[in-house]
Amino acid sequence: MVFSSLIFLFSYLTVTLLLYFTLPKKWRNAVLFTVSLIFYGWGEPAYILVMLVSILAAYLFGFLIDKNRESNKRKAKLYMVLSLCSNLVFLLFFKYCNFFIENLSLIPFLSSLEPIKDLVLPVGISFYTFQIMSYTIDLYRGNTAVQRNFVAFGTYVTLFPQLIAGPIVRYRDIDDQLITREHSVEKFSEGIRRFCAGLAKKVLLADTIFAVAEYFQSLHGIQPTVAGSWMIVICYTFQIYFDFSGYSDMAIGLGKMIGFEFLENFNYPYMAGSITDFWRRWHMSLSTWFKEYVYIPLGGNRKGLLKQYRNIAIVWLLTGFWHGANWNFILWGVYFGALLMLEKTFLLKVLNKIPKVFSHIYALLFIAIGWLIFFFTDMSAGWSVFTTMFGFGGADFTTATVNYDILRNLALIVICIIGSTPYPKKLYYYLVKRFRTIEYLSPVLTCGSFLLCVAYMVDSTFSPFLYYNF
Amino acid sequence: MKKITNIITIVLFLAILFGLSVAFVAMPDKSYSENEKRNLQTFPEFSLEALMDGKFSSEINEYFADQFPLRDAFVSIKALAELSLFKGENNGVLLGENETLAVRTFSIFKDRLNRTDNMDHFYNQSVVRQLEALNKFAAEKASVPVHVIIPPRVIDVASESFNYPSNVSVSLDAIVSTTLSKDLLIPVSPVLKEKYSAGEYVYYRTDHHWTTLGAYYAYVEIMKSFGMEEDIIPRDKFTVNVVADDFYGTTWSKCGFSFVSPDTMEFWSLGNDDKFTTTIGERSFSGFYDMSYLETMDKYSAFISGTNDITLVESNYDEERPVLLLPKDSFANSLVPFLAQHFDLVLVNMANRMTNISAYAEQYSADRILFVWNAENLITSGNLGNVN
Repeated sequence: MVFSSLIFLFSYLTVTLLLYFTLPKKWRNAVLFTVSLIFYGWGEPAYILVMLVSILAAYLFGFLIDKNRESNKRKAKLYMVLSLCSNLVFLLFFKYCNFFIENLSLIPFLSSLEPIKDLVLPVGISFYTFQIMSYTIDLYRGNTAVQRNFVAFGTYVTLFPQLIAGPIVRYRDIDDQLITREHSVEKFSEGIRRFCAGLAKKVLLADTIFAVAEYFQSLHGIQPTVAGSWMIVICYTFQIYFDFSGYSDMAIGLGKMIGFEFLENFNYPYMAGSITDFWRRWHMSLSTWFKEYVYIPLGGNRKGLLKQYRNIAIVWLLTGFWHGANWNFILWGVYFGALLMLEKTFLLKVLNKIPKVFSHIYALLFIAIGWLIFFFTDMSAGWSVFTTMFGFGGADFTTATVNYDILRNLALIVICIIGSTPYPKKLYYYLVKRFRTIEYLSPVLTCGSFLLCVAYMVDSTFSPFLYYNF
Repeated sequence: MKKITNIITIVLFLAILFGLSVAFVAMPDKSYSENEKRNLQTFPEFSLEALMDGKFSSEINEYFADQFPLRDAFVSIKALAELSLFKGENNGVLLGENETLAVRTFSIFKDRLNRTDNMDHFYNQSVVRQLEALNKFAAEKASVPVHVIIPPRVIDVASESFNYPSNVSVSLDAIVSTTLSKDLLIPVSPVLKEKYSAGEYVYYRTDHHWTTLGAYYAYVEIMKSFGMEEDIIPRDKFTVNVVADDFYGTTWSKCGFSFVSPDTMEFWSLGNDDKFTTTIGERSFSGFYDMSYLETMDKYSAFISGTNDITLVESNYDEERPVLLLPKDSFANSLVPFLAQHFDLVLVNMANRMTNISAYAEQYSADRILFVWNAENLITSGNLGNVN
């Protein structure tokens, strides 16, 4: 199930809130665990089993790790590795198996290998696998206590707000919230505001700008133009930000409604002045995870520059590969890894000296090209857009139709630009400080944008049957 | 202070959330939307199998959207929101002056599978291939004169009402006039454009068809091309009956601009409609109109009872009249009351892949063949290419 659907809002969420707040307090985790499983199994019920096995394995190994942690470090380590493997094996199988088979079959004497048919990736497996691993590793490290309550542990992994697309919540960040959490009017209303903001980002901005990107991409197939190919990249750049950060906002908002506090996942990434800065602001929970469980264990930056570069390379290969089993994601990871190394070596010093506006343009350009690599799993199609952007291949600069469609979407793009900055929020707080009554706008804005989102969702399936015009 | 706004937020949000949820459950399901002219999704049948393969959940998603309370109001709100961003269009429908609506046509790509909505670009080779098929048919297959009329789209005729580039219209016109053999093509765009510019009501504002007046002008051009200029019935001989002033066409159904005012629809008559019989398979009726359609949204289908595979329109008297075969789309339907004054008509629905035209010409002993195939169909389907 996805948040931006009518069925989620007007049956799932309604029923969940009703059960959660009317049933006795001690059942709350059980309610969340149950409804989360339904949420997860909505499209592909069979995969509930896969997830339950992962949860059970980590839960049981947790006891073994805990028992041996003080007395027998080696044994504890063995159990930790086993636990991690029992999780990763599903991820490897479902996500990467066919990728390896396809590439191995390119080797002449292995050409008889055939990909497994109908292998569908279980939704959210990359996210919940990483969450489970954070528990196992932290437990081994002694950073958290063993969770004896299966329902509480199951609730942690399956918690529907962040189950499908993060943020990746570390176990130790919410372990005490699993037992006791505070509910208040303040928190619930903050949750509503956050959820509606995220929903608006997703439905009003991401989905509409995505349609524009798709349009220009189709146009590119008929009549490539320089202006059109820039539009593809610009629109995808905004789409992924509003889609993903909108999802995180919705997750954080829903979490607040049911008493949880998740860490922030985005911090105005397009305000970044360098790629290094960008990755401190983008999908922070993933960067933190890799830093904590891969980069630092490898030695981080404490074992000399050469080792540090090696560690950066490993982390970014994995980050790229984590995003998808395809060569373009690996290239994407390598691309950012290389940029980060360049910045570490000398570029960051240069960027700090030049006027801010130039470093900002530099960062945005390379971020956008990154998204170009990210979006085109068909790398030759991506290359064609890339070359057209810079005037190669003899494409026209623009056409009358391209101009028309750019103008038509200009207001939307301007809104996206403004929406990527912290200024609207700053302006709001400034106004509230000046005129207290502005505060009363907040409920109206929140619920108004919610209704507008509903209108867009209803319309998205508004599909008159019009091909009877013959 | 802070507390109050928080409470207002919660109360408002929960009222919307629970209100719409309850309304959704309480409201009876509708099975058909006349506005959208399609069946709506009703509550899907539950089975373990359907649940496991995801069919149940996808159907229930549609069920929610189709049966959602205040659906039409929400659709209109979305349309207004799009307009307020200066987009000038919604769901691929342009809003022009005088509340004129025009569709941006979708296009077919090289691979013919990949169809994108609202592109309004056409694939040259596909159009050329179809026009050449017509040339070939006229030269090699047909033993009687062949004519082709390609009714333009609203966006072509009414381009001055829209803030929209006309380069696609221009190049489509150019391809048609250079590719299609001169003696086949009945040019109709220039006349319609001229009349439109003069403020005449030649195309509906909310539908993709020409009006009865537009069809009359096309009829005049057709007769000229047939060399029957003397037989053209002057406009003032007809009595004009306004049969509907609340006609909302297909373009309106798609756009969500509910504020747009409706079209009027006219039937033109010489007072001799009952001299003719329209026959569709086993069914026949006197005159050219199936009045029952005027009670529905789909009013244009009142002309010869809409689209059917084979429609015959003949004089009731046993006079020897030439037979005109019309391989056609729905634009031909409103030509019928005019052309039937001169010919017995055989209308063949080419949209249903009925393209073996020489066989029909032989079967019905046609004396002339007139293709009526509008520009949008030319762009979006390859059907003409199969004519033989």
